This record gives sequence, structure tokens and C-alpha cells, in this order.
Amino acid sequence: MAKVELKKLFKTYNKKIKALEDINLTIEDGQFFVLLGPSGAGKTTTLRCIAGLEKIDSGDVLFDDENITHDQPASRDVSFVFQQYSLYPHYTVYENLTFPLRSPMRKLPEEEIKNKVEKIAEMLKITNKLKNKATELSGGEMQRVAIGRALVREPNIYLMDEPLSSLDAKLRETLRVELKNIQLNLNATILYVTHDQAEATTLADKIGVLKEGKIVQIGTPEEIYENPNSIYVSQRLGSPKINILPGYLFKLNNITKIGLRPENIELGNGPYEGKVISTENLGSETVVAINFQDNEILASIQGSYKSSINEKINFDINTNKVLKFDKGDQRIYER
Amino acid sequence: MDTSRSYLEPSSFSKKMAAAIIIVYAVITLIPISWMVMTSFKNVDSAISYPPEVLFEPSLEGYVNLFTNRSRQSQEYLDSLPPPENWYEELVRSREMVITGPSKFLGRYSNSMIIGFGSTFASVFLGALAAYAFSRFRVPLKDDLLFFILSTRMFPPIAVAVPIFIMYRKLGLGDTHLGMIILYTVVNLSLAVWLLKGFMDEIPKEYEEAAMIDGYSRLQAFFKVVLPQAMTGIAATAIFCMIFSWNEYAFAVLLTQFNAQTAPPFIPTIIGEGGLDWPAIGAGTTLFLLPVMIFTIILRKHLLRGITFGAVRK
Repeated sequence: MAKVELKKLFKTYNKKIKALEDINLTIEDGQFFVLLGPSGAGKTTTLRCIAGLEKIDSGDVLFDDENITHDQPASRDVSFVFQQYSLYPHYTVYENLTFPLRSPMRKLPEEEIKNKVEKIAEMLKITNKLKNKATELSGGEMQRVAIGRALVREPNIYLMDEPLSSLDAKLRETLRVELKNIQLNLNATILYVTHDQAEATTLADKIGVLKEGKIVQIGTPEEIYENPNSIYVSQRLGSPKINILPGYLFKLNNITKIGLRPENIELGNGPYEGKVISTENLGSETVVAINFQDNEILASIQGSYKSSINEKINFDINTNKVLKFDKGDQRIYER
Repeated sequence: MDTSRSYLEPSSFSKKMAAAIIIVYAVITLIPISWMVMTSFKNVDSAISYPPEVLFEPSLEGYVNLFTNRSRQSQEYLDSLPPPENWYEELVRSREMVITGPSKFLGRYSNSMIIGFGSTFASVFLGALAAYAFSRFRVPLKDDLLFFILSTRMFPPIAVAVPIFIMYRKLGLGDTHLGMIILYTVVNLSLAVWLLKGFMDEIPKEYEEAAMIDGYSRLQAFFKVVLPQAMTGIAATAIFCMIFSWNEYAFAVLLTQFNAQTAPPFIPTIIGEGGLDWPAIGAGTTLFLLPVMIFTIILRKHLLRGITFGAVRK
């Protein structure tokens, strides 16, 4: 495993479309780094540049302080899990898993190859599928094999491009937990791309938020959640979504916009009065949508909450947790 | 009435009708071929008898005549010879002839094989490389180049026969295997590039990317991952190329005489003494038909297997 650094990375497609602009990023050895952002933000492009699948316009890619910017993908020794499984359909599962080990770059003895593949197959619970053709597997199994093909060797870094997005919700959760365990066991360096906030917060040691090809904030999941530096970042994490409201609603007349997480609203008592638009019982919590001076506010309450539509409701906000933003949607920090 | 079938499925009557039509069509198209095969097993007399014989005593005379040169001799001379050593000598002598040596057929036939398979391999191999490049890389003037490649098929090949004839004579390529392989490859290549590009476009580029990250160069990835998945296209292209170069007549007549003459210009020259030797011609054309047939049957399973499915989500 290695430390991976990106320095002043620029990338345009067809000389016009800016894909990456001045990306600076350090992924420490053994770190699980998640790139978060909507589609088109440049997440996949960043991965592809590290893997060497895209030529970058300018900037450097460093593995353990060694500049590998101009190396071929094969010699960079990275693993890649694609969003689409891309198993080799003419091979069996076993052959798919051995494929990276049989590469002319490595030339491992057959015995070692067998041991490694069996170990990985056991870890991912696909031992009984090893003799199957790749095309005979279910979606979940294919994705396990694809992850297995990446994990079967110890590269400088594992690059994962939304590896779980094509799976159903239940399998996604299971694999998410497995993936985190595997990473901890192997002490692996992983750069993981997702737009799923649950994946980001549960897996990441560090999150980098991308916006239109630029990194707008890097931090731990807690920092990103509690201390976003802009409205954009604040909207990346949290479900239900953060409320972005004009400041005057809460007598903060010199503040353009404020961000208020739904769990920081208390219902029942308080100086503010609105009307219930809808309630949504999610089991452990209930999301109440309130019309407050023609603005919709989401509040999240522990347990169930009974109320009827158009009922008048009083609420209060936790002023310590209010995030203040300026005209440019940037965070205003108070001293 | 059978009500268990789904409305989408054709009725058993229309299925039977379809089968009947196909059988009739197959019989009609197979009549000339079966007639040709039958003729090859007739003797010289029954081949030209009228009314034509459908039932006849099979004979290998056609095949013997195809593979040998013979000369007519007087009865006295034949009597003076030691008894025939094998069945085909006996057969020839019963026609008052002796075998003077092997005919050129085997040589022509193997020329056809060498040139046919050689140019097929070359067209498919070069076509696959070119198709891959056109499919994956940003080639300057890509569309114009592809159109140019196709445009070589827009005139009949024979239109360039004379310049090629002169060029080949100057280059010393006339009447050589290499020359014919190059010629047929050039003609077939445009078809191969276009056909294979379509198949390559269908193969997701993630496969090669995965292979390159797994530690293979692009060329290795091409051979290990792309080619196996393009097998359907390769099989189809190979069959088309093979059929063309196997059957090609005009250039073969023009450019080959001895060393590299293929079977098509040779077969019509099988004219026996005193009339056309139909069984020998039948035998020649029957044998000529076999390699393409076998080749197609061998590659058929790749054609039927269909294009890659399933392993990449689209």
C-alpha cells in the first residue's frame, strides 16, 4: 500500500470541457478516502487519472513520493473496481480472479496464485462459484467477484468507482459492512467514489467533496457534516436534507441564508409557529414538514409523532447549530 | 383447437407450413449441388446418358480422371503391359488408357488452400487490428478514412485488373502465393474492417481498461480480452473472406498460370479426350466445395453463440 498524492491536477475533455481543475489531494497509507459529489463533478475522472486511464493536462500523481504521472496503467500497480462489473465473460470466476495475478508484470508461482484466490473467494463467500462462467452469476455475485479481482493483490491503492451502486439496497448494506471490515483487516488504502451519503459516512476516514471538477472541502465525515464550508457541502450529507432558509425568518437580518439540520428543530414549544404540511414515519424517526411563513422546513423527531395536516405547530431551533452563509453561499464563521 | 399456446406463438399449422416451405426451398437449392455430387460418382457413359440416370452404379472414375493424366493406347500395347498394380490403374486400362502421371489438380487445390486460408487469416487479423483502432482511438479524419476504406469496394475489383497485372509483373508478384494472398487480403480488408468495427464497438471498453489495470499492456489486453469476445464477428468475417478468396476466378485467371494457380481456373480445363469429362468436373467441383463447407460448419457455433451478454451492465 502506498500514500497517494495528487498535485495541481488539470484535465479537460476534447480541449473544451473542464473535467478537473486544480485537484490537490493526499490519501494517506491505509486511509479510506471517499470522493463525494453529484454526477459530473469529476469523481470518476479523478480515479481514472490515478489509474492512468486518462491522460492529464497538467499536474502530478505521486505514489509514495514517486512521480508516476506518465506511467502506463499496467505499471502503476493499482486496482480498480468499475461501476459496471466488467468481469471477463469468456472466463470462469476462478480465471477472472487469477487474471491479475497471471499478468506478465507479476509472474507468481501457480501455488501462490491458487492460495490467494481461495483466500479471497472465502472472504467474499464465492468459493462455490469459482467454476462458474462469469455470465452465470447474479448481480451481487458478479460485484463480489469484481471486488475480489481487485482485492486479490496488494496494489498501491484500491480505486473503487461506485462499486455498490448497481446492487439492491439490502446487498449494498451487507457489502458495505464487509468492505469496511476488509479494509480494516488489510489496512488498505482505498479511494472510493460515491454519491451515496450513507456509504460516504459509514466507510470514510476522510471525505473530499467535489463540485464541478474542484475540491471544495476535505475532512472527516463529522467535519463535513457539522462544519461544511458552503451550502453545497452542507447539502451533500444528511437525510432528510438540511433546511436552507433566509436568515430573516429567525431574526438574523444580516445573514443571507442559514442552514438548519432537521434534527436541530424541536417541536411542541417555541417562539415560532407554522402549519404541518405532512408527516412521514420512518420507524425510528418521524419527518415533519412544516410551512413556516411560506417556507418549507423539515424537522426530524425521534420516535413517532402524531399530528394532522394543517394543524398549527410551535417549534424552536437550536441556535448553536445554525450554519450561517453569505451571499456567495459560503459559510460565515463566527469568532 | 389447442388453446394452451400463447397468443404470441404461431399456431401449429403455420409452424408446419413454415417448415414445409423451408424444406421445399432447401430441396430446390440443393438439386444442382446433389446433381453435381451424383455426377462425380458416375462413369463417363452414365453421366451423359439420356434420359439422365438418377439411379446408377457408383464409380470413382471421375475422381481417378481428376487426379491423373492419361493417354489412350492400342489394345496390343495394353496387353503387353504387366497386370495393373491397383484398382485405379485397372479402371483406366478398361478405358484403353494408361496413367501417365498425376494431374495438376492436387497442386492447384493446395494452392487454393494456401491462398484462401492465408488471405483469410491476414484479412481477419489486420482487419481486427484496424477495426480496434478505429473503434477505440481518436484517429484523425476517422470518418473519411473509413469511407475511403469502403470506397475500395465501390468499383468491381476487375476494373483495376490491368494496372495490377502490370504492377505484379514489375514486382515479381505475378503467379506467386504471396501475390495472391496480398491481392485477396486487400480486397477483403475493407469488408473485414467494417464488419469487425461494428463488433468491436459493441464490446465495452471497460474490459480492456480492467485488463490494463490488472497488469497487461494494451496489446496483451487486445489478444486476451477483446479478441475472444469478438469471436462472433471474427467467425462471420472469416467466412465471408474465405468464400470470396476461395471462389475468386477473374484475378486467378489473369495473374496465375503455374506456381500459384488456384482451383477455379483449373477446373474448367479438365476436358477429356473426345468430349467433356463430366464426372471429373463433378469430382473437382465437389472437392472444391468441401473446404468452405467444413470451414463454415466449424465456425458456425461461434456465429450462433451470440455477442457478449450479461457480464457488463449497460
